[in-house]
Amino acid sequence: MHGSADRSNETALIRAAQGGDAEAFEQLVRSYDQSVLRMALNLLHSPEDARDIYQEAFLRVYKKLPQFRFDCAFSTWLYRIVANLCLDQIRKRKVRKEEAAAVTTTSGEMDRFQFLPEQRADVDPQRQLMSSEVSERINAVLDKLTPRERLVFEMRHYQGMRLRAIGESLGVTEEAAKNCLFRATQKMRAALGDFL
Amino acid sequence: MTCQEVQLNLSLYLYGELDFAQEEAFERHLEGCALCERALNREKEWHAAAYAERQDVSFELLSECRRSLRTALRSGRSPELRTSWWARFIPTGFSATRWSVQIAAASFLVFAGFTAARWMDNGRLAPGSGSGFARMGLLDMSNAHVREIEPAGQNGVRIIIDRVQQQEVTGNLDDDTVRQWVLAAMQDPSDPGIRVNSVEILQHQSGPDVRDALINTAKTDSNAAVRIKALEGLRQFAADAATRRAVEFVLKHDNNADVRAEAIDILVPADRPAPAMTPDVLTTLQDILNSEQENDYVRARSLQVLRAMNISGPVY
Ligand SMILES: [Zn+2]
Repeated sequence: MHGSADRSNETALIRAAQGGDAEAFEQLVRSYDQSVLRMALNLLHSPEDARDIYQEAFLRVYKKLPQFRFDCAFSTWLYRIVANLCLDQIRKRKVRKEEAAAVTTTSGEMDRFQFLPEQRADVDPQRQLMSSEVSERINAVLDKLTPRERLVFEMRHYQGMRLRAIGESLGVTEEAAKNCLFRATQKMRAALGDFL
Repeated sequence: MTCQEVQLNLSLYLYGELDFAQEEAFERHLEGCALCERALNREKEWHAAAYAERQDVSFELLSECRRSLRTALRSGRSPELRTSWWARFIPTGFSATRWSVQIAAASFLVFAGFTAARWMDNGRLAPGSGSGFARMGLLDMSNAHVREIEPAGQNGVRIIIDRVQQQEVTGNLDDDTVRQWVLAAMQDPSDPGIRVNSVEILQHQSGPDVRDALINTAKTDSNAAVRIKALEGLRQFAADAATRRAVEFVLKHDNNADVRAEAIDILVPADRPAPAMTPDVLTTLQDILNSEQENDYVRARSLQVLRAMNISGPVY
């Protein structure tokens, strides 16, 4: 994602931002914010939540940047912050969803679909029509993954991050991240492999 | 590799996460096994289908995020002095973001352990050019000041530095952030010139946030010129009860005659019939007439009001 020339440039940016250079900080934000936002949007399927994650993540980065010691890649450090925020949010939602589900089951068979992932905005309607069944399946599987599996799958499949970096970001070993990804892909395959 | 092993590793292969030896074994098996080849193709298909589900970020969402982050950061970068009164201000008018308060209160925290050589660029301690400190701009104290310093561990020290960041904000007064900044500047304790300018800028703005800020300035600002400006701004709110109470307070307590003159003009516009006076104001006006020190204009105006209301002041 970043070459070595970029990396030394990035180091300079980080140092400048640590020294209070607002422009350097903004540049730093701009080199990552699109992928941070995309990750949050794809994990949470809600532009509002994605916006909150974005804001909260970069404000934390801003606040904690003076303590960043170059122990790891800046991107790893950044994604650790983003990953934790997303995990919290996914877990919170799961709890809410379970609570809501518990309420509805006592009141009979209310429509289960209100607990499926929220309707996505900004999707090409034609494509959506053609592959809506596939979409539904994919989203249903993603929804059933554990928060951590979901996150690892997002980081690897959608963000193209290496397992090693994913492990570092989540504070687990590369092997643990690999196992997580393994379980996630097994579930996807089971649900989609013969369907396509 | 057996068929089972291959089929368990399909995704990891596609992700390029198998190690070199594994990848070789995987590919060798694939060359001679149609079954696994089909399985790999199916795996590719669901990978692609899942990838197609990916939502991309719209330009609008991205720029909205960037904008609000910038707003939060800018409004947060305020020197310590302004933080305290800010906090007082926030419950009434501040809605920009819930983060601003936190950020405003957060200053850069620098932990400078003298044993932490890595942080200091290979342990070069001299603060000359090329050292970690100089490059990080920490020794440029022109816009910084040390708020707190305390020992931390052996040979260590913990320093909290407040940094002043110069930023330019231009915009319309309808913009919440711009408005908050002007309201903030109205309270700048260091410079009455900035306070006068800010009051002048807000004078023709309406809204309870402006009214409350003007009231606060009229009652408490240490500079008479600023208080007069604030009172001028309050003219537009003269019908409002809270404003009248504040102006009455000023008329009664302000030690500057020009300020009191301005106050009485607001309470009792010279070109219009006097509005109903509370007994409190009438008492104040009578006190003014009795006062030896009162300035002539204020006395004359008080007398005029009391006469118009058929309340006889003391004969003098
Ligand atoms: Zn095989």
